Amino acid sequence: MTGFLKQLGRMAALVVVAGLCSALLLRYSPGALVDERQMDQRLSENSLAALRAERAANANVGANLLRYLRGLPGGDLGYSTSRNAPIAELIGDAAPETLRELAVGLIGGWLLGLGFAIPAGRFRQAWAYEAASVLAAGLLLSLPAALLAYFCFAAGAQVEIVLVLVLTPRIFQFARNLLVQAYGSAHVAMARARGIGEMRILAAHVIPAAGPQLLALVAASASMAIGAAIPIEAICDVPGLGRLAWQAAMARDLPLLVNLTMLVALATTIALAASEELAHNGTQREAARAR
Amino acid sequence: MSVVRLAAILFLSLVAVAALTPELWTVAPYNVQFREAPEAPPSRQFPLGTDAIGRDRLSRLLYGTRVSLLLAPAAALLSCLEAAALGAMAAMAGGFVDRAVLASAELFLSLPWLFVLLTVRAFLPLNTSPAASVAITFLLLGMLGWAAPALVVRAAVRKLKQSDFMLQARAAGCRPGQLLFRHLLPNVMPVLLGQFWVAVPVYILAEATLGMVGLGVVEPLPSWGSLLRELESGTGLTSHPWLLAPAMLLAAVVGSFQLVMPRQDYSV
Repeated sequence: MTGFLKQLGRMAALVVVAGLCSALLLRYSPGALVDERQMDQRLSENSLAALRAERAANANVGANLLRYLRGLPGGDLGYSTSRNAPIAELIGDAAPETLRELAVGLIGGWLLGLGFAIPAGRFRQAWAYEAASVLAAGLLLSLPAALLAYFCFAAGAQVEIVLVLVLTPRIFQFARNLLVQAYGSAHVAMARARGIGEMRILAAHVIPAAGPQLLALVAASASMAIGAAIPIEAICDVPGLGRLAWQAAMARDLPLLVNLTMLVALATTIALAASEELAHNGTQREAARAR
Repeated sequence: MSVVRLAAILFLSLVAVAALTPELWTVAPYNVQFREAPEAPPSRQFPLGTDAIGRDRLSRLLYGTRVSLLLAPAAALLSCLEAAALGAMAAMAGGFVDRAVLASAELFLSLPWLFVLLTVRAFLPLNTSPAASVAITFLLLGMLGWAAPALVVRAAVRKLKQSDFMLQARAAGCRPGQLLFRHLLPNVMPVLLGQFWVAVPVYILAEATLGMVGLGVVEPLPSWGSLLRELESGTGLTSHPWLLAPAMLLAAVVGSFQLVMPRQDYSV
């Protein structure tokens, strides 16, 4: 219980510090306190003074963060000046699209990555398959996510396919190396000598041995998918959180960007903590089984 | 050395030579406009055609390659130096310094690399001179890429710190500077070299991504990112396949870097 609370506290601290850092970065970036509207010559002295006062009120990062944290329990995430809408509403509208994209991308990436890695790990003598799969993975790894997004967009393919193409080679490479190692271990050779079937060897000997590291890879792939979603959504013009983050960054929308940074940090830390925990449990189970 | 690795080194050398001497292969520098030949198809004069304002695509590709090939290793070197300094400091000092470096690295790693890169780049001035945009882009890559290599260096230095030869050196009265430069650094070098080779293709791809979303090197200076951005103009690739030349060169160069990467075990 104490460990869980400690982990929760660590995660909360990380998320708040990530938000604070992005707020500080934006506050002290060049031109942060300049408002284009102040150059409008039609505005009266009173309007200009009101604009200056509004800017000055937003300049205090600490006070803004405190105000934000106070409003958080009530679901008040602030107001986006660039999109002229409440941030909770913007995130609520964009999140389902990104979540669907991430879910399809991660499931597709894992199915394909593992699907190609298992034969590559099992049949080490099949050099043609090995060469073809490594070459294909190498080619996909050599192209930026934004370029893959452009190709899929030009071909009229679904945006989720881009995420699958981004994730599959990475998962394939890691999984293949792990499975080659697992297939080469003594207990697999022993099992094979005893006449145990290949499917059983895979399920009972190989996957459990590589399991903890594969689980650790889940978090890494989730983080990769979140990062890749930004250029993909920006290029393919998908109304998701990635495009929202890109637009917020380009428009220097402090409240929106701080919220998105905290959301991304929260999602990544949860994925990391969950896979760490699962990997730890898996290692302990394996150690107990070995004893 | 395998044949494939040798071929990759040869290919990278050829690309580097071509990129460093573009005037030998092209009719004009990257910014010269041939106003009478906009959007020209490939010809003897312009092997990759010209762009919408009549600039030679081959010349722009070679100059863009030079920008990426010179500055990505420079950025990788910067992040490796940062990682070496912070990782070694954390491992040697221990206590608060170690915890602070670990917490900072954890903070950096809690956000996806591309998200951090795009966000930080967007906060910096976008309306700058081409030279300033190159400096900003690659300095940013170098400065933000320290976290993962620093953790690797920290682990390596911690392991070395407890080794017998370090204990013996300390017992023989070696000063901290001597320990660092004579015993620690030569042993950490393979780890840093490995991190450097990993970082170079990553930074080349990151610059291309930044360029494609409009946050990279600004016009008229070419880079792989800005050249790839031309693909977004909507010109059909089936009727203009030569537009794919930057993408193909990028894939070939990054792929070659992956093949050249030393594969030995860096554990010390």
